[in-house]
Amino acid sequence: MSDDGRIALSLTLNGRALDVETPACATLLDLLRDRLGLTGVKKGCDMGACGACTVLMGGRRIKSCLALAAACDGGAITTIEGIGTLDDLHPLQAAFIRHDALQCGYCTPGQILSGIALLAETPKDLAAIREGMSGNLCRCGAYPNIVAAIAEVAGL
Amino acid sequence: MSPGPVTRWEAGLKVTGQAVFAAETPAPGLLYAVLVEAPVGCGTVLAVDAAQARRTPGFADLISYPEAQGLKPSSVTALIREPTIHFAGQPVALVVAENLAAAQAAARAVRVEAEARPAIAALGQALDQAYTPATAGRNPAESRRGDAARALAEAHLVVRRRYETAVNNHHPMEPHAVVCCWEGDRVTVHTSTQAVFGARAAIAHAFGLPAEDARVVSRFLGGGFGCKGQLWWPWMMQAMLAARRTGRPVRLELTRAQLFTLAGRRSETVQELAVGLDADGRLTAIDHQVLAQTSTHGEYADTTAGVSRWLYACPNVTTRHRLVRTNEPQPIPMRAPGTAPGTFALESALDEAAAALGIDPVDLRVRNHGDHDQEAGRPWSSKRLLECYRVGAERFGWAHRPAAGAAGDGRWRLGSGMASTFYAQHLQPSRARVRLAADASLVVQCGTQDMGNGAYTALGQMAAEALGVPMSRVTVELGDTLLPQGPISAGSQVTVSISPAVAMATAELRAILAQLAVADQASPLAGQRPEDLDFADGLVRSRTGNVAEPLADLLARQAPAGLEAEGSADLPQVQTHSFMSHGAVFVEVGVDPDLGEVRVRRVCAAFAAGRIVNPLLATSQYVGGLIGGIGMALHERTVTDLASGRILGDNFADYLIPVHADMPTFDIALVHEDDTHLPGGIKGVGMLGTAGVQAAIANAIFDAVGRRVRRLPIRIEDILGHPDPRDGFETLT
Ligand code: FES
Ligand code: FES
Repeated sequence: MSDDGRIALSLTLNGRALDVETPACATLLDLLRDRLGLTGVKKGCDMGACGACTVLMGGRRIKSCLALAAACDGGAITTIEGIGTLDDLHPLQAAFIRHDALQCGYCTPGQILSGIALLAETPKDLAAIREGMSGNLCRCGAYPNIVAAIAEVAGL
Repeated sequence: MSPGPVTRWEAGLKVTGQAVFAAETPAPGLLYAVLVEAPVGCGTVLAVDAAQARRTPGFADLISYPEAQGLKPSSVTALIREPTIHFAGQPVALVVAENLAAAQAAARAVRVEAEARPAIAALGQALDQAYTPATAGRNPAESRRGDAARALAEAHLVVRRRYETAVNNHHPMEPHAVVCCWEGDRVTVHTSTQAVFGARAAIAHAFGLPAEDARVVSRFLGGGFGCKGQLWWPWMMQAMLAARRTGRPVRLELTRAQLFTLAGRRSETVQELAVGLDADGRLTAIDHQVLAQTSTHGEYADTTAGVSRWLYACPNVTTRHRLVRTNEPQPIPMRAPGTAPGTFALESALDEAAAALGIDPVDLRVRNHGDHDQEAGRPWSSKRLLECYRVGAERFGWAHRPAAGAAGDGRWRLGSGMASTFYAQHLQPSRARVRLAADASLVVQCGTQDMGNGAYTALGQMAAEALGVPMSRVTVELGDTLLPQGPISAGSQVTVSISPAVAMATAELRAILAQLAVADQASPLAGQRPEDLDFADGLVRSRTGNVAEPLADLLARQAPAGLEAEGSADLPQVQTHSFMSHGAVFVEVGVDPDLGEVRVRRVCAAFAAGRIVNPLLATSQYVGGLIGGIGMALHERTVTDLASGRILGDNFADYLIPVHADMPTFDIALVHEDDTHLPGGIKGVGMLGTAGVQAAIANAIFDAVGRRVRRLPIRIEDILGHPDPRDGFETLT
């Protein structure tokens, strides 16, 4: 820790090595969204209850508002910006568009990252997808289309 | 080859995280704002002591009442100009600092001295002060046709019940935010609002600016549902004051907890309802009395009893709305305002009547179909509610449902229920601009907003279809006061309101293009009659002959700089028809009679709402609305602590909203409806799904376990508690 209470971190962020300093008390969410400009990471509650801030850490989904940035040293973090681009969409992103699995779009990055991590857990049916996605709230009510998009990519 | 359904225009930006929401607006030198909340729930602020806050590292400025005196007095600025504390959690100051943590620390260091007065923390504490407001929503608070009291006294059957609905909060996933920046006396405000032009007018008034010196931008809104309007503007303006004083951009983002207090709520209701019917199940009387809460600093009432005025034919109807002022947050419209709590009452009572009379609930509603608007004495512009009953019942399998109480699945008792839903259609004036470039790509501009309702797509589609340009060649620009003024995003009004403006602009472009084509010897269309040309598949072609040419070729020769047209639509002067969209909602629930658990298993709904511009997006809107209604029926209740006046459990762990695991299967039928009286034959779809479903669920619970629940949300204790002795019927013959 430096004199002003900042902590130096090394991260792999969306495949790139990155060294940053962060206040000791900053969450990973605030580091990504405010300091590093990765605004695809959303803040919906800042209390671990909505899933809008979901990112992947080592391939597993975490709520970045509940992670201290300082505790992520050495971690490999993927945000929505590292998943796919307009010209080169991830299959789940493309499925979201086809199934209209979004309305306002604010929960969408979190839903997609959570869905990608869930796909790696090979859900066996729609009920397992619903259960596994229940940490990601969507107030617009895009749930059935989100599940349909994930199911399609899962081959269910 | 069929082009397939048109997907959401901006979906690519949203799935890649490229859609920029207000709080994410880049602004070099940004200061972060945090609100300081009042220490009491009712009283007066005597002093705001910032001495200690000023010494915290990173502190930049503090705005409280003295700093806001330069703003013009109005209902919007009252809360930031006047030191009266109306409700617990009301901000009394705003602190800005170099980063969020510093602002939070500084806000904690502010000392607020206040004189407390006794607070009214619940509607029930001031029933003697209930009053009738002038209006409920946009309608009179009281209505009377015929003589309901007499008809009730003479009715064959009277169902007289009390229904209660809880306070709900909107909770869009994106909390309200502003990033504002002054350049001299001009200001740019990026904010989450359902009304960029409304926000601009409020800002111009408060700050004494010419309207054109304030620019309000809201390109993407992370949901709104009614709460991203004027209740947010005082706090947005406090941030603007801080930005002006510091000469730096300022960002304020509400916390999730503040969405319980600062952004509005659906009021609780207590509804006393009496319906009278004859032996054939025809309504002879409705008396609908609504009591709801409003705040001590504002007044709003939903038209909750509107359902009794409009949904059915009935000669004798009396309705009245009354309000009680409490020291609680201010109610405002929320998803299906009025129709959600109102249909819960009336559609539950009709289910009781159907059971008492031995008439099928669908049949009872068909018998009471209203073929014109009895309240206004006008014909409906269109109404295919009967078809909704037919289609919905058929797809649900209503005729073959098991007898009440007869179906089970393991620990679950199964039941079926239905209800009607409706929403009144209103129009707003709107303008729109359409620009065609030489390469036949299209830009459509309108200063309305897209909060997830599909405005980008609808606007783009309307212009693209009119000019025969593929959607892939269309750019839509919304949410900016530099664009032509568009409608506020509320009341399911956007698509129908912008439709005539787009139609006018595209018609003008078509006329110009047709003239250019027929007069151009280089065009294969030379010499045709302009009125014989049409626009499709990127071509200008003759309807009579077999001649056509690509639109891009014509433009390249005749209008290399492109063409542009603006359209505008005002409100019709005389209203000859009443506009209403309708639907029928059928629900299957499972109830565990031992645990009191309720699960919605299946929802089948048929909606008739004019011409559907985009079936994919309309279906999403309906499903989203139904899910909101399920939340109101089974989950959502905001509770005020009677001692402190504070909201209890102001977070998503305590205030439950539906999640993936709560989802039933949905089957949505879009019932075709021609409407020649509304622009483009379009009606709104956004509000329709959120009403009706609550009563359908309650009716299905009765079908499953024989218990009437007349209070929302329906909780375990409502299923397990002692049966209500009022479950019997009052029969007067
Ligand atoms: S912002 Fe992290 S879970 Fe809501
Ligand atoms: S799409 Fe709006 S919250 Fe999910």
